[in-house]
Amino acid sequence: MATAVNEPEIVVEDLVVAFGDTVVLDGVSFTVNRGEVFVILGGSGSGKTTLLRNLVGLMRPRSGRILIQGEDFTAMSEEERIGFRRKMGMCFQSSALLGSISLADNVALPLREHTRLEESTIDIMTRIKLELVGLGGFEDYLPSELSGGMRKRAGIARAMAMDPELIFYDEPSAGLDPIVAAGIDELIRTMQSTFNLTSVVVTHEMESVKLIADTVCVLHRGKVVGIGTLAELELSNHPYIQQFFARRPDDPSTVDEAWARALTGTD
Amino acid sequence: MLDLLGRVGRWTFDQLAAALRVSVLMVDTATWLVVAPVRGRGFRWRSAVESLVEFGLRSMPIVGMICFLVGVIIALQASYTLDQWGANRYIADLVAVSALRELASLMTAVIIAGRCGSAITAEIGTMKVNEEIDALEVMGVNPIKYLVAPKFLAMVIAVPCVTALAMLIMIAGGWASAVLVVGVETQIYLDQTVNAIVVKDLVNGMVKSFFFGVVICWVGAYRGFQVEGGAEGVGRRTTSSVVTSIFLIIVVDLVFTVLFYFM
Repeated sequence: MATAVNEPEIVVEDLVVAFGDTVVLDGVSFTVNRGEVFVILGGSGSGKTTLLRNLVGLMRPRSGRILIQGEDFTAMSEEERIGFRRKMGMCFQSSALLGSISLADNVALPLREHTRLEESTIDIMTRIKLELVGLGGFEDYLPSELSGGMRKRAGIARAMAMDPELIFYDEPSAGLDPIVAAGIDELIRTMQSTFNLTSVVVTHEMESVKLIADTVCVLHRGKVVGIGTLAELELSNHPYIQQFFARRPDDPSTVDEAWARALTGTD
Repeated sequence: MLDLLGRVGRWTFDQLAAALRVSVLMVDTATWLVVAPVRGRGFRWRSAVESLVEFGLRSMPIVGMICFLVGVIIALQASYTLDQWGANRYIADLVAVSALRELASLMTAVIIAGRCGSAITAEIGTMKVNEEIDALEVMGVNPIKYLVAPKFLAMVIAVPCVTALAMLIMIAGGWASAVLVVGVETQIYLDQTVNAIVVKDLVNGMVKSFFFGVVICWVGAYRGFQVEGGAEGVGRRTTSSVVTSIFLIIVVDLVFTVLFYFM
């Protein structure tokens, strides 16, 4: 599986993200190597989606740095970011295809926006990208006419439109049946190996982690609690990692006091 | 007391922050509408034309219907008083002046705010909920350029155009009831109408309708980008989009009415 070379593509240093007084990410640091599939694993509310939004620049951190290909992404102006983002593709949890235009137009949108290619060239490129994700022949369909799995695939095709070097997936297999989810996992792996894409995947599905991950980073309450290959993490003695991997529910006696108070309404 | 002071302060800050966001939206729209196309960064003409058809052409039946009825109503209400002095021919003056200076532009703006302002909010809001706005940003497509600028252009063209038509139809409505119900002669009605109208009245109505269009589009877009959460958020912002639009339309109306009164 390891096609990765030890060349850092993304370096996150001591990232702190907060909404008002609520600290969502607290001193997160890790390195993603070029060409690997890096999985950010965590439960609901662990801050993993927030982390991803910071990596693609939809949010700015309170402090800390994100270096992408050696350049400080956090310090860039909005203008520079827009240029830099052409190297990055992102697949959203809800696919986020524009509902009012066809699949082909969705995939062609970044090409029309950023390149001066002829319409006939764009047409061919769009077909290639859709073929790549197994959606050849669906060019003229509207997103609402497709199943969830097909929309996910179309989202990947759109993320691939500009031939990115990095690709980010937000919960790619969430809400899909196991067979379709496995298909998406396979696609993520194919994309990575065919184009040597650096892929960052946010997920909470252990099944897909087993299939796709080169490196796994476990996030819990805004902190990295473990990082390494899946085999390494399975040997970890961190209670949360053990609990997560064993799929055990929270022990009621260890539930946070604040949470208990919220439940019982005694503030 | 301190609590009250704190609340007033927080409210003021919130309003200032909102004003800042509105200003940013305004500047961005203007930039993407005027500066960017000149620099060759593109403008979505097709989308603007589609919006123009939606805001303008498709609004015409309902605006026409309502304005005709309003014309009928004003003429009858006017006759109620004017009849006592045997001055029914002045119904024409009253209908023409109120249509041109006030009612045609106001009715049109209120209907388009309800029909299209709400649609803008719902569209942008739903896109925000579905992460489509985020997707645009990640792709390096400015959401203001993609969504707001074409709609803005369409709106400031559509509202004055529909208003012009509404003026005519309202006068026709007044004519219908004055001639058919009250019994004014058509020739007299037409002469009175032509004599009553001055260019200033027309300019008054058209200038206002342009700014009504500006208000409807910006409020619609602003409320759309404010949407948080899910379907419920879209519903709430869509309601407040219409309410805010109509309120601001009345405020703008007042400002221009005062302005033209002293001119």
